[in-house]
Amino acid sequence: MSFLTRNIPRILVQASARNIHTTVNQNATAVNPAERPDTRVSCTLIPGDGVGPELVYSVQEVFKAAGIPVDFESYFFSEVNPTLSAPLEDVAASIAKNRVCLKGILASPDYSHTGELATLNMKLRNNLDLYANVVHVQSLPGIKSRHKDIDCVIIREQTEGEYSALEHESVKGVVECLKIVTARKSQRIAKFAFDYATKNGRKKVTAVHKANIMKLGDGLFLKSCEQMAKLYPRIEFERMIVDNCTMQMVSNPQQFDVMVTPNLYGNIVDNLASGLVGGAGVVAGASYSADCVVFEPGARHTYSEAVGKNVANPTAMLLCSAKMLRHVNLPVYGQMIRNAVDKVLQDGKVRTKDIGGQSSTQEFTYAVIHNLQMPA
Amino acid sequence: MACRILRKQPLKLGHNIIRAQSTMSAFEIQHKTPLIRKTEPIPVALYGGRNAVTMLPGGGIGPELMGYVKEVFKYAGAPVDFEVVEIDEKSEDNDDLDYAITSIKRNGVAIKGNIETKSESANVTSRNVAIRNELDLYVNVLNCKSYPGVPARQSNIDVVIIRQNTEGEYAMLEHESVDGVVESMKVVTKSNSDRVARFAFEYAKKNGRKKITTIHKANIMKLSDGLFLETSKKIAKEYPEIEHNDMIIDNCCMQLVSNPHQFDVMIMTNLYGSIVSNVVCGVIGGAGLLSGKNYGDHYAIFEPGTRNTGTAIAGKNIANPIAMLNASVDMLRHLGHSQHAELIQRAINRTVSEDHIHTPDLGGSAKSTDVVSRIIDHIMQDTRHW
Amino acid sequence: MACRLLRNLSKTNAVGVRLYSGEVKKCTLIPGDGIGPEISAAVQKIFECAKVPIEWESVDVTPVRGPDGKFGIPQAAIDSVNRNKIGLKGPLMTPVGKGHRSLNLALRKEFNLYANVRPCKSLEGYKTLYDHVDVVTIRENTEGEYSGIEHEIVDGVVQSIKLITEDASIRVAEFAFQYAKENNRHKVTAVHKANIMRMSDGLFLRCCRDMAKKYPEVKFEEKYLDTVCLNMVQDPLQYDVLVMPNLYGDILSDMCAGLVGGLGLTPSGNIGLNGALFESVHGTAPDIAGKDLANPTALLLSAVMMLRYMGLNSHADKIADACYATIREAKFLTGDLGGKAKCSEFTNEICDKVMKS
Repeated sequence: MSFLTRNIPRILVQASARNIHTTVNQNATAVNPAERPDTRVSCTLIPGDGVGPELVYSVQEVFKAAGIPVDFESYFFSEVNPTLSAPLEDVAASIAKNRVCLKGILASPDYSHTGELATLNMKLRNNLDLYANVVHVQSLPGIKSRHKDIDCVIIREQTEGEYSALEHESVKGVVECLKIVTARKSQRIAKFAFDYATKNGRKKVTAVHKANIMKLGDGLFLKSCEQMAKLYPRIEFERMIVDNCTMQMVSNPQQFDVMVTPNLYGNIVDNLASGLVGGAGVVAGASYSADCVVFEPGARHTYSEAVGKNVANPTAMLLCSAKMLRHVNLPVYGQMIRNAVDKVLQDGKVRTKDIGGQSSTQEFTYAVIHNLQMPA
Repeated sequence: MACRILRKQPLKLGHNIIRAQSTMSAFEIQHKTPLIRKTEPIPVALYGGRNAVTMLPGGGIGPELMGYVKEVFKYAGAPVDFEVVEIDEKSEDNDDLDYAITSIKRNGVAIKGNIETKSESANVTSRNVAIRNELDLYVNVLNCKSYPGVPARQSNIDVVIIRQNTEGEYAMLEHESVDGVVESMKVVTKSNSDRVARFAFEYAKKNGRKKITTIHKANIMKLSDGLFLETSKKIAKEYPEIEHNDMIIDNCCMQLVSNPHQFDVMIMTNLYGSIVSNVVCGVIGGAGLLSGKNYGDHYAIFEPGTRNTGTAIAGKNIANPIAMLNASVDMLRHLGHSQHAELIQRAINRTVSEDHIHTPDLGGSAKSTDVVSRIIDHIMQDTRHW
Repeated sequence: MACRLLRNLSKTNAVGVRLYSGEVKKCTLIPGDGIGPEISAAVQKIFECAKVPIEWESVDVTPVRGPDGKFGIPQAAIDSVNRNKIGLKGPLMTPVGKGHRSLNLALRKEFNLYANVRPCKSLEGYKTLYDHVDVVTIRENTEGEYSGIEHEIVDGVVQSIKLITEDASIRVAEFAFQYAKENNRHKVTAVHKANIMRMSDGLFLRCCRDMAKKYPEVKFEEKYLDTVCLNMVQDPLQYDVLVMPNLYGDILSDMCAGLVGGLGLTPSGNIGLNGALFESVHGTAPDIAGKDLANPTALLLSAVMMLRYMGLNSHADKIADACYATIREAKFLTGDLGGKAKCSEFTNEICDKVMKS
């Protein structure tokens, strides 16, 4: 192994030396071409509702400035504006083709214009089978919050459970809402969580449930997690009841590592955890199916009261795009954006309103662009 | 002998096995249950188009070769995440091995170097064998194809060796019955012979191969090899479009060195497979080029074709990285990432056949890293789009 | 107060609930398991010092085998609560194993406790990351996700039913507004997820909206569950009274308790048609049971809630002030609050303060 580590840098140096044409002005070409695979990547883009378009614009500005070889296929997709919205099939086909998508938040009104129970979000997820939502909640430098050093990953099943859109009014004034839990999907999400933990060197997986009350439904989920845990002897497995979990989360969030949850609990824990590190504007997330990934902010708020005011925080969206770049094998660019965002937050001179500053979205974006730097 | 025992009491034995399985040691499970194992299906480790794959670097040159694979994958952008499991070769217990097997069960696919078993004690078995038996990887496929640029005795060879991988002579049931007399059992079962033969014919059909040759020694081992031959003949009847013949192992070896072009697909039991694959490797230019594939019903392992650790040349930067890279290409194909597989394959072919960058084992003077960086150069050229 | 509301809802039950300070009222006490007996004794002692006109009727609720062969609460306990209409309960341990219904659940069913109230207030003297929290969660307690209707349709597919009825929703909404009005609260927030569960949570939300019109003096707003979670941990001061269905209430009430320092400090009351049961919701803490180390605050504050419910406001204020003052001065804090005092010392200090006032 040591031989290997000695040699890899050499390989890199050799490779790069051959590809730099002018040796005179090496500092100017800070970008090492050897580490820039230049395949152009196309990516579906859904700006979403609320401040979504503003945030997406910020991402596009940054991509342009950094010269990132990504082509966006933009679709207007919205449930609150059904006449202008692109058809679900087109959007889904585009995502299935590109395998990556950057998405703002879609607003889900309480009543749909057609009287349907399923929201557009749910339909998109079911269409592409985006079953796993991953939100990495991490304390960011320079953002003031009550809790320090939070680093947990919340993995949420998002195609069944309470979000099955199966509701009916059996008699007047009595509504039944079905929550569906299946062994297959529970195992799948449990395996996802454990594989995620393995891949990212995490130590512990916590299953969040309410099996003491919902003995069959959540019981099945818990049992599936327990079964899967046996295949991962080197990862600690822990169970926690959802109400206790929320309480632990606000008092001692550092104890959590990877958490795996059914649909609704995941929504709660996601938002709770996002609140702990600075709000909906700074947490990035992603939804996975077997084949594609949709990168979207971790806490789903459209922030519609701020539309057009140039005050929304683009951090979450920028972090999403950084994750997206890492996924499509452009890790250098991903790191570049990530570093720039970290630097801007750390300096603390340019801050949007939600994290205690006065700067506008645009100013923040420019600050990030200003700090873009190829990592050494 | 064992075969006869099995045939006499197949039902009873099977029954005992099922009941006893939970209490048996790992050794007993590998060697006393040559039956097809049932496994619960586990969801595939494919997330957002990226596969998780277990990587067992093994001993000797394994770790450095794996480093090259990772490096090449990085530049090719292959959507694969490796879960590296190191197996401490000196340890007497099998904790690491068990973990590696669990990991392969989870991921379904693995790429592996050769794992050394340093323990001398008689009842510790080869860990390579243990992995294959535990995962029920009943077939090994070795695609032997000449590289135009590599100096070899014979050119234009294209032979596929399909080898039974879990039983036969490798059952390792040995004992000293009386002082000075050792018995070693060779186990051949109908079910496993059947699976291998069927796999071979399906493979031939899918890949447009014309002929299958069964290699055996049924003139001497009438029952065991006889069963194997008989089974493949029976299966052959179901595939009239594919020609089938058989050949005795000693004759086969001779034919391989004198006239290898007569062969297309070959099927054989475990030990013969080991012999034949090494012969063919020698004929086409060395152990460092070919990759092998091990398949079971649920899992697949990819490894260099000839199973040598190469401890002697470890750390000297002269090991040939091609075999392991070919194994990784096979793996990408298996996972369905054919574009990336093509990309790497092309780069390898150009490096070996056109640029003639060869490591000492092929008569060249290049370092391992030279080969790898040239391959990376080719990949970079192919991915550039301006 | 709330009992008045109860009378509105079920007129038959109201007889004898209302009290005057002079009258001695019987009250059922379920000491519970683990640390339960110690903290119950502490509460009794403090009540004695405060000369609260209450006579305790202590009952044991260890499950007994009923005529149907199942284990359940002894009839005597049920009779006692039914007679007194009011009870105070320590922590109970649910025995593991089949055949035992959760006692908490059984009591809830028996007395038709439809609303669970949990005021979460930051205690001066016990520092947490959140200051000045003052939130009341009101949770529908009889239906929703905890309806207990579940079945396995085919192998590996389970369906649980969340049940929302208009009656129960109106009942809890009315209680919430009534509570807000009588306790000088300004705002009621309905917590829901009607964008996803459009019919069931939609119904709940509609009931709250309707009820809001009857209480124009109380401000009403509706918020998504996830938004509340997000905002609650960032700025809990923006919420006042929260009303919600069963599961959300379960989760949010524990979370709010977490904001102010855990279940050891938060009281809880269950308001029902047939009576009201006040309880401490923390665990039985068997490891410190009998060692005089437990913290009786949660049960004491629950008892204070009970006094308010019975209309004994002056006694309630006196005891609550003494309790808050003791924690504020931080001279006699139990182990869980970072002090070294024993349960008895803590209790004595409160008694002293009560006597002085």
